[in-house]
Amino acid sequence: MHIHELNPWRTLIVLTVFVAIMIVGFVTMREPLLTYEMDMKTSVAETKSDDSCFYLWQLVGFIEKENADVVLFDIRDNFVFGQGHIPGAENLSAQNLAREESIARLEELKNKNTTVVLYGDDQLQANGPVMLFRQVGFDNVKALVGGYQYYKQHKDDLLATQNDSTLMQEIARYNYAEMAAPTNGAAINKVSQKKTVEVTRRKKTAAVAGGC
Amino acid sequence: MCPLIPNGIISSGWDFVIAIILGMAFGFILEASGFSSARNIVGVFYGYNFVVLRVFFTALIVAMVGLLYFDYFGWLDLSKIFILPTYLTPMIIGGVVMGVGFIMGGFCPGTSFTAVAIGKIDGIVFTIGLYFGIFIFSEAFPLFGDFYTSGDLGNVTITDATGIPASWVAMGFTVVALAAFWGTMFVEKRVRKNMTEYKF
Amino acid sequence: MDRNYIYLTILMLVLAIGTLLVNNEPKLKQIEPQQLLLEMVQPTRYVTTDQIAKMIIHGDPSLELVDVRSADEFEQFALPRSVNIPLDSLINSSSLGYFGIPGTKVVFVSNDDIAADQAWVLTKRLGFKGTYVMRGGLNCWMETIINPQEPSEGSPNTAYETYAFRKGAQQYFTGAKAEVAEGSKVKVEVQRRKKTSAVAGGC
Repeated sequence: MHIHELNPWRTLIVLTVFVAIMIVGFVTMREPLLTYEMDMKTSVAETKSDDSCFYLWQLVGFIEKENADVVLFDIRDNFVFGQGHIPGAENLSAQNLAREESIARLEELKNKNTTVVLYGDDQLQANGPVMLFRQVGFDNVKALVGGYQYYKQHKDDLLATQNDSTLMQEIARYNYAEMAAPTNGAAINKVSQKKTVEVTRRKKTAAVAGGC
Repeated sequence: MCPLIPNGIISSGWDFVIAIILGMAFGFILEASGFSSARNIVGVFYGYNFVVLRVFFTALIVAMVGLLYFDYFGWLDLSKIFILPTYLTPMIIGGVVMGVGFIMGGFCPGTSFTAVAIGKIDGIVFTIGLYFGIFIFSEAFPLFGDFYTSGDLGNVTITDATGIPASWVAMGFTVVALAAFWGTMFVEKRVRKNMTEYKF
Repeated sequence: MDRNYIYLTILMLVLAIGTLLVNNEPKLKQIEPQQLLLEMVQPTRYVTTDQIAKMIIHGDPSLELVDVRSADEFEQFALPRSVNIPLDSLINSSSLGYFGIPGTKVVFVSNDDIAADQAWVLTKRLGFKGTYVMRGGLNCWMETIINPQEPSEGSPNTAYETYAFRKGAQQYFTGAKAEVAEGSKVKVEVQRRKKTSAVAGGC
């Protein structure tokens, strides 16, 4: 028999402490602003699809204010936006994308079935945010292919870009192997064949550990 | 938020301070549970006192279930905590050696220090033996060093090894532990009836 | 028999059953979307072809080039010391071992930079640190390193310096015999991440 066993309140104390911890835990649990709705596998598969792309020629209706179900966001910063932007675009700089107001705005647009197009200076700038928004469930978000630079080059004739082959991304524009071939006429340097890649499996480390 | 040190909330310079505080708390609980008495401890093996089993199982299931809840509440990131690497055969052999020492000496390493702290002679003798054993082990280590590190499974958990979700493991373990509490209480009662030389 | 023990037993059982309801943790560890968004608006992940060329020439051991093009394209041409992980097999457990090794810089390479950036986003979502994107991809590599354009007259001095470096790099990657032979026989040692355990605990 220990002294603490004489405390008539001991069970009640334990019970109260446990319940209090649970209540504090559930109360302090915060719902994250964004949660992934697309699992990794679908996200990887999506990189091959065309769904997240919005082409310049599709913008024609928007710029002429006929197309109400598209909203264009310029994710460059405010200063650059002021120097020139696609007509009708709103400025929502990338730094502010994670803000609650921005998310709420996107949520609202999603409920209205509006297509949201993000563009940056080049396509790369919008690529990350668009991927993320699609992964967290905003499947109405798209990236403007080519970005602002491409728009600037073609703003006089947007429809002509429909058949522009230079727009194609992720295509080798050169014959790499030929171009990088040794100039002295030796065989093409096929790095991949001569290379020995030593693959060791990731190990779980053995650390020195103490006992009791 | 937690674990505090890997997340950089507490710098690793505080390691030893935290270790000392934890050590004191651990020693206090051992002593408060009566583990500084060799009779209480070896009672598990003779069946008259299962307080060791009850204290450790209680600590274990409370911590286990608590960690799962903390992970859920977002207070602790379970994937960041350290998991002791498993060496299957060496650990079984080591467990047997430790169990034998446990019955013969009446202490486990931790409790022998609480016994020293309250001035028990058997605890002091045990501790001297403990350091002697550590010395022999260290000197003879090259003889069985290979065996010592054999069968490395890495930092695995039961969930990693079997694929059973952590909450089911915790649930199963809690049921087993609680069943053990009640089971051992009956064993204790029956054994104690026939004992005359030891007062409880 | 103590009635308190009955209460405590019931409490513990209820809590344990509760874990079954609350803990449905995801299999892959991911970072929070908001965190990911904040990290991706930083341009720090981009490295230029010049920087990559310099690192390859200097034999920087911390550099790990990951080519996300298809295996066919990789077979035809690839940067020295690069590893092929096509985008669709990016999250296989065998591929993930290449990322997140402390002290290495994983640089994603593709034809342009979109696919590489996609690989960056996907690996970042899984929480890997130290990943980068080669800006402009292999097309840009061809334009700048393999076939550098001489700067027009009146360009700033730095443009000429860059050009001089690129000319040298062009020699290294295409020209001189000795360098090619040497470069191609370099044994690529690919490090893979180990599960770290800095502190060891006891009971």
